Amino acid sequence: MGFYVARRTAVGLLMLVALSVLIFVLLRLAPGDPVDAYINPSAPLSLDELAALRERLGLNDPLPLQYFGWAAAAISGDFGYSIQSAGQPVLPLVLSRVGPTVILMASGLAIAIVVGLAAGTLSAVRRNSAMDVGLSVGSFLAISSPPFVTALVGLYVFSVQLRWAPSGGMLTPGVPFSVADLLAHLILPAFLLSLTHGALIMRYMRSSMLEVLNQDYVRTARAKGVREFWVIVKHAARNALLPVVTLIGSSIGMAIGGAIFLESVFNWPGMGLLLVNAVKARDYPVIMCATLIIGAFVIAVNLLTDLVYAAIDPRVKVG
Amino acid sequence: MKFSNLARALAASTLLAGAVMPVPFAVAQDGKTITGAFDTGPGGFPKKFNPLAATGGFTWFSIYFEPLVTYAADLSVIEGALADSFEVSEDQKTYTFHLAEETWHDGEAFDAEDVKFTIDLAQNPDTGSVFASRLSDIESVEVVDARTVKLTLSQPNSALLADLTQLMIMPQHALGDVAPAELATSTWWSEAPIGTGPFKFDEYVTDQYVALSADEDYRRGTPKVDRIINRYFDNPAAAVAALRSGEIQFTYVEPDDVATLRDTEGVRVIEGNSYVVNYVGFNQRVDLWKDVRVRQAFLYAIDREAIITALYGGAATVAQCGYVAPHLVPDGITEYSHDPDKARALLDEAGWGDINGDAPITWLTYYTSPQAANVMAAVQAMLGQVGINVVPRVVDVPTYNGIVYSNDDAGWDQFPLIYAGIRNGPDPASINIGLNSAQLPPNGANIMRVEFDDLTAAFDAAMSETDPAAAEGKWQEVCAEMNQTLPWAPMWVSSRYGVASDDLVDFVWTPAPAGGPYAAHPELWDIAQN
Repeated sequence: MGFYVARRTAVGLLMLVALSVLIFVLLRLAPGDPVDAYINPSAPLSLDELAALRERLGLNDPLPLQYFGWAAAAISGDFGYSIQSAGQPVLPLVLSRVGPTVILMASGLAIAIVVGLAAGTLSAVRRNSAMDVGLSVGSFLAISSPPFVTALVGLYVFSVQLRWAPSGGMLTPGVPFSVADLLAHLILPAFLLSLTHGALIMRYMRSSMLEVLNQDYVRTARAKGVREFWVIVKHAARNALLPVVTLIGSSIGMAIGGAIFLESVFNWPGMGLLLVNAVKARDYPVIMCATLIIGAFVIAVNLLTDLVYAAIDPRVKVG
Repeated sequence: MKFSNLARALAASTLLAGAVMPVPFAVAQDGKTITGAFDTGPGGFPKKFNPLAATGGFTWFSIYFEPLVTYAADLSVIEGALADSFEVSEDQKTYTFHLAEETWHDGEAFDAEDVKFTIDLAQNPDTGSVFASRLSDIESVEVVDARTVKLTLSQPNSALLADLTQLMIMPQHALGDVAPAELATSTWWSEAPIGTGPFKFDEYVTDQYVALSADEDYRRGTPKVDRIINRYFDNPAAAVAALRSGEIQFTYVEPDDVATLRDTEGVRVIEGNSYVVNYVGFNQRVDLWKDVRVRQAFLYAIDREAIITALYGGAATVAQCGYVAPHLVPDGITEYSHDPDKARALLDEAGWGDINGDAPITWLTYYTSPQAANVMAAVQAMLGQVGINVVPRVVDVPTYNGIVYSNDDAGWDQFPLIYAGIRNGPDPASINIGLNSAQLPPNGANIMRVEFDDLTAAFDAAMSETDPAAAEGKWQEVCAEMNQTLPWAPMWVSSRYGVASDDLVDFVWTPAPAGGPYAAHPELWDIAQN
């Protein structure tokens, strides 16, 4: 087990190095650099100063030199300075965004897991009832609506029309922090983030439950006189969970993608918004650091999923 | 009944979600606060804080910093700001500024040394200043006394005052000890900047907002509101959503949204001249556009009036040269009214079939708005009718700049044609950088590589004219020359828009290029409290 974790971690580190090379090369292949991003096309400047700026940012050095310079500094924890927000060291800047993203993702996934598992179980147990049909239709709708549609429709309906939730940001500007204020800003993006994942989890849980409910050991449990609630929860649901856990693990990776989009729509100050803005500004140091942290996170979550899987299903052995 | 617990849990979690939703999010703020999206739209410079390195955002900068001089709110004249008054010598080589009595936000007195310090900083490219070349004609800055500064120029420069409007004066006592090269990356700008404007810098919450509070001893009177907050939005649509939900009181708005907002209760639409002329640029380094008849045919093929009516709601003026302001456009210039037959005839004469025929021509742009996409689709269809086959290619700004500024000869095919805009006012010299042959990259922004000797001569004559009355005639000659030689196909100058809550009182905003600055007098802005 210990050896397995060590091996997976080593492979993960190698993947991170490969990722950094890939991102570095891709960024330089993309047209435009940070200085290009700086020029307002309708109010152009003389380029003398901009050339000086390029020189100062080290953008004129040969590529391998730039990469190894970056890598050597990064290993010692120095990810350089953000180009767009002049002077801000990258690592603290990126780390300060981890919190908001985790809050958004964790809330979204928590809603998705709780509602998805409960609804999937109910749907399976009350198969072909009106509730089952209703939940199924709702879940298909949620699965087939891309996040850019649900986010914008949600924003329009709940913020602009109903005014139930703020249209963006994490806190109301200029007022002291309060949990209620944070929750008010969080609930809409978290709810929207949970839609697709919740619906997917529900579908998986439903079909998995249907399979399990026909198993002999469930019938045996009923025959022993176990109360139906415990039959469902203890005997059926636990076994039905196995495939769903894998799904939840991969959902976390997918949720980062969704969170990037939701953060842009809702101006949520997380990694996603930071990354999108950094790409727009060709802010190389920020893009590199943020991508690596997201990459490390996804690799860690995948490892964790495998370990949890083993914990739930004693038949599975890792290592 | 057996699953009642599970059903209850599901119902409870739904209820919980519903119960959290209506939490009153408009948490009450102490005192009067105006919240706006001041850096949204083309004039903004969001999340950047160093005015010496700024290419926009001057509406916001000038709320807590101040320049020596600024434009009047209608952008018609340049008037005093931190300088109460100023004089220009007859030979246009000496500028004398008489400074206002003012204190910095930390209580220190503002004086002539600060002005000299700022100009020195701005002339030093090590500071990351984008003003160095624009201020290079300033030979010396003399502190006559604490309240008087004299600038001596090596040669007359008709654009100097316009350039000075964007130069925010900096406190020597706060920045004098910082090495110029470190200034560009200093966190002072976003953490504790000190200005002389009507509002003081409070805090910047990264990527979210900047808050300012009233400077109670501002020389023109204590501001009427306690705080002004500049919220950042990723795009104008998000800012409009926040405006509609009552969270902010002001934002720039895309022309597409104007019609619906005009019918919305509680808000008013502010319309102003964009001072940006849109054009279709011909890359002069490719062979397609060598014949002026092809360029003329291009203009005759496009029904600009119809596009303005249908896609701009009439809120744009057709341009026959780089300008539309009546005093810069001479009588008797050619009006390239829509005439597809004439376009076809001109193309035939020029031998378009041999030059290019119907081979596709890439048409590059950085405009990503739905309106621009519609405009380009309309122009594409109109050009198609006369046998010019253009294919729009939309890229983001860094990609666009990366392509058009490249001096690689192999790269011209990447942008044989562009759709762009360039600032054409209030100072008419603004377009010189894009058309004068002395401004070819890397010197300037003549990205279409226009090398028309007569046009360059006309620009040089207008730029060096020191008598304002005579200068007008010289700019008319530039217009006439552009109209005849068509270095690009001028399209129009459109309006730009902001939208403000009816709660705002005495609020002044105009869509000035780069955000101005202009005399907005934020100290007079007020908000009706409900």
